[in-house]
Amino acid sequence: MTDPGAAPEPTHAPLHTVSRGRARWHRGLVRPVLQRRADVVPAAQAVAFVIGIVVALIAGALLLLAAGNDPAQVYGRMVDSSLGGINSISRTLLRATPLALAGLAVAVAGSMGLWNIGAEGQMMAGATVAAGFAMSAGDLPGPLLIVMMLIAGAVGGVILMVGPALARAYLGVSEIITTLMLVEVSIRVVEWLETGPWKDPESQGFALIEPLPDQASLPGLFGRAHIGALFAVALLVAFWLAVSRTAWGYELRMAGSSPATARYAGISLQRKVLAALLLSGGLAGLAGAIELTGTATRLDPGLSNGYGFAGIIVAALALMRPSGVAAVAFVFGAVQVGGQSIQTLGVTSSIATILQAMILIGALVAAVLLNYRVRWVRPVGHPAEETAPPAGPAPGGAPPSGGSSNPEASGV
Amino acid sequence: MSEPGGAAASPGSGDGRVVVDLRGIRKEFPGVVACDGANLTVRAGTIHALLGENGAGKTSLVNVLGGVYLPDAGEIWVHGQQRQFHSPADAIAAGIGMVHQEFRLVPTLTVFENVVLGSAPRYLNMGQIIERVAHLAATYSLQTDPSRPVWQLSVGERQRVEILKALWRDADVLVMDEPTAVLTPAEAADLGLTLRSMADRGRSVVYISHKLDEVLSVCDEATVLRNGVTVAQPRSLAGIDRSDLAEMMVGEAATQIQRPAERPSGDIVLELSGVSALSDRGLPALHSVDIDVRAGEIIGVAGVSGNGQRELAEAIAGLRPTTAGTMLLAGVDITGASPRSRSRAGLAYVPEDRLGMGLAPAMSVVDNAVVRSYRSMRRRMMLDLRRCEEFCRRLVERFDVQAGRIHEPVGALSGGNLQRLLLGRELTGEPKMLVAAQPTRGLDVAGIAAIQEQIVAQRAAGVGVLLISEDLDELLALSDRLIVMYEGQVAALMDPTQVTRAEVGAAMAGSTSTVSGGNS
Repeated sequence: MTDPGAAPEPTHAPLHTVSRGRARWHRGLVRPVLQRRADVVPAAQAVAFVIGIVVALIAGALLLLAAGNDPAQVYGRMVDSSLGGINSISRTLLRATPLALAGLAVAVAGSMGLWNIGAEGQMMAGATVAAGFAMSAGDLPGPLLIVMMLIAGAVGGVILMVGPALARAYLGVSEIITTLMLVEVSIRVVEWLETGPWKDPESQGFALIEPLPDQASLPGLFGRAHIGALFAVALLVAFWLAVSRTAWGYELRMAGSSPATARYAGISLQRKVLAALLLSGGLAGLAGAIELTGTATRLDPGLSNGYGFAGIIVAALALMRPSGVAAVAFVFGAVQVGGQSIQTLGVTSSIATILQAMILIGALVAAVLLNYRVRWVRPVGHPAEETAPPAGPAPGGAPPSGGSSNPEASGV
Repeated sequence: MSEPGGAAASPGSGDGRVVVDLRGIRKEFPGVVACDGANLTVRAGTIHALLGENGAGKTSLVNVLGGVYLPDAGEIWVHGQQRQFHSPADAIAAGIGMVHQEFRLVPTLTVFENVVLGSAPRYLNMGQIIERVAHLAATYSLQTDPSRPVWQLSVGERQRVEILKALWRDADVLVMDEPTAVLTPAEAADLGLTLRSMADRGRSVVYISHKLDEVLSVCDEATVLRNGVTVAQPRSLAGIDRSDLAEMMVGEAATQIQRPAERPSGDIVLELSGVSALSDRGLPALHSVDIDVRAGEIIGVAGVSGNGQRELAEAIAGLRPTTAGTMLLAGVDITGASPRSRSRAGLAYVPEDRLGMGLAPAMSVVDNAVVRSYRSMRRRMMLDLRRCEEFCRRLVERFDVQAGRIHEPVGALSGGNLQRLLLGRELTGEPKMLVAAQPTRGLDVAGIAAIQEQIVAQRAAGVGVLLISEDLDELLALSDRLIVMYEGQVAALMDPTQVTRAEVGAAMAGSTSTVSGGNS
């Protein structure tokens, strides 16, 4: 990790090059060099995550001051509304549930080095298939209907992922692009259903899909939270077990970590890619169905609400680890709830959004920087006396006007 | 050229002033120590040969000098000042010019544009620049037309452009990595004249080559590397002949493990007939190869790298589809079988790429230890982690792997330990046949001995061994029979007790003494 921005020291004046007069102030300066660390301890990751958030909160405080708000009051409200009491925590859980499920979906693909950018679309597809099932079989008893809807949701997510998964496994088409593009498709399909086939006849001209049967709603947990939160935890545990304790998970890790070694061990990369992507799509679809049955009365194009995209951030911050996904999703949910509540204090919604973004950036930067250590390097061979009065015709004491040969011109 | 601000170097060769001094350079890559204790002292006005076998660390050492690699330890002194090069630009600014084996030119630009690219003087117009480039070329008898586009040039001309680039940037020291490998004999002679004229003007050249005659005729001084260590630095090459240099490069073979003399007479365990395969780029890499390996026999495979050895190993391992021919393992047809079923049929494979293919660097020692056996470690759906750990502990113990903790990433182990782990894992299933590609490359002496001991032990245990290596002494000491690969074919089958290094070398070069052009 050398510093590409630092120009070479003009110690050796090339005859044919021209002075650019730059880099002179570099002389003798100590400069930071990032070096990649070999290993990162998980505990250190958690600490860095917290430090990143604290730094972001301090920066956010300055922003709030500049906007004329009282940071202490704003932060107090954020914490109180998201964590202060059973009701607040239930609101945070309500948000954290889809975030954790979407984050898990992204992490499943991510543990094999694949990026499911389209969890948002698969959530929508899952919710759509689940709603379709509820509409056609609305007279089933509640528990059975819900279970079938959740299965239908997973199927919907898988259906949307079949194309990208096959294209990735057998043709090498980037799953990043295909999954992302299908987000738009699935949302537009719901818009079409809303104005056409599934239009609620009683909506009096409004574009609304028929409401779900009354019994198609997930039982509550406490406050506003529903039992989807428990599903999320159970799925995270199941995924952790599958990855770390089964032969299948071993193969998945091997294929993701070192494809050549996996091939050498006789593991079919294509089948692992298919499995990881389809599972990822299915989990996102399930997340959509849980969101539908847990929070909505009817399917609408705004149901996924950006949770699928936020899931990418959750998974990335969690370094694709299930335990991390749970923690990050909870924090993320709290930040969202808090960000919304401070608008009642007169903080404009854009400042609230900026604050949320800064907290996430702080955590992300901390997570990345943790992989490196900063080493301060003093350029050797350019001792400090060079900045002092000339010490005779020392070799290397070329006049600065000699300029630096352009780094881009490197003949190597 | 002279040092700016300092005393001008006196023209003429060998005034004894040290221009470049590399001291105790160490450079380690994951799993391989390329240099450890490498020194290089280059004097003004000399052509300095850097000698060593493949993998001796020559290229790594000059890449440290050229700012391409940051050394892990050691000092770089240029003109009596200690330097740290963080990029090639730093090295160029210090007067180090490099001509790599692969040229770095823009084909659509003209010769002079390539030469001045990024450092064109702004106070000159194009005509003046062309004139200066032409003048510079004439000074060093570098025949070239500054206005021709580079894509029209021959390899030799392109090399001259690279040299001009370095001279334009006023390189005191020109590093050339195997410059004649791509040249015709006439071009090589011209290059010799150019380099001499540079030395006569007080510049220095670091000249990497394994062609000993060429070194003796072109160079003034030499540094010999062996396994990343500088083993000899003759101040003058006068009075030194080929065999002296060869001896310095190779060292004494006495430390080598020797296979027992008795001849194996087992059944054939691996039989290849008419096997052909393609390279990664889809070009024919193996042509109708016939090899049979008997139980308890080591077949050595020699060859200049890139002549089909890697493809041969991968084809046998099932990692590269064959386009023709059949393969029998202990009498069973394995042509087209999957890598896993070959492994089950008794094939062990130590790939050339030990970290990356043989071992997954980011995964733990345990995970890597069970690559071949995890399927038998299942208890219902779950992997029996305790059994995996136990298996790994036994493996680590039996093959003397110095692993700190078995749950740490395997990438943290040293090269010798990686190879012991890999070889140990492959040998645990009691294979019938072992294919080992470059198993000792980049290892230290103890590591080499441990690996060679294991290979000889497998021979004694009745395993057929195909040993692919670039270390001729290793092949001569260990092999019962020696195959030489040339351009994807078995060019020669030799009895190691009856041939000399020179004969093997001639076969590796395609049995002709002329330089084959275009094989970069």
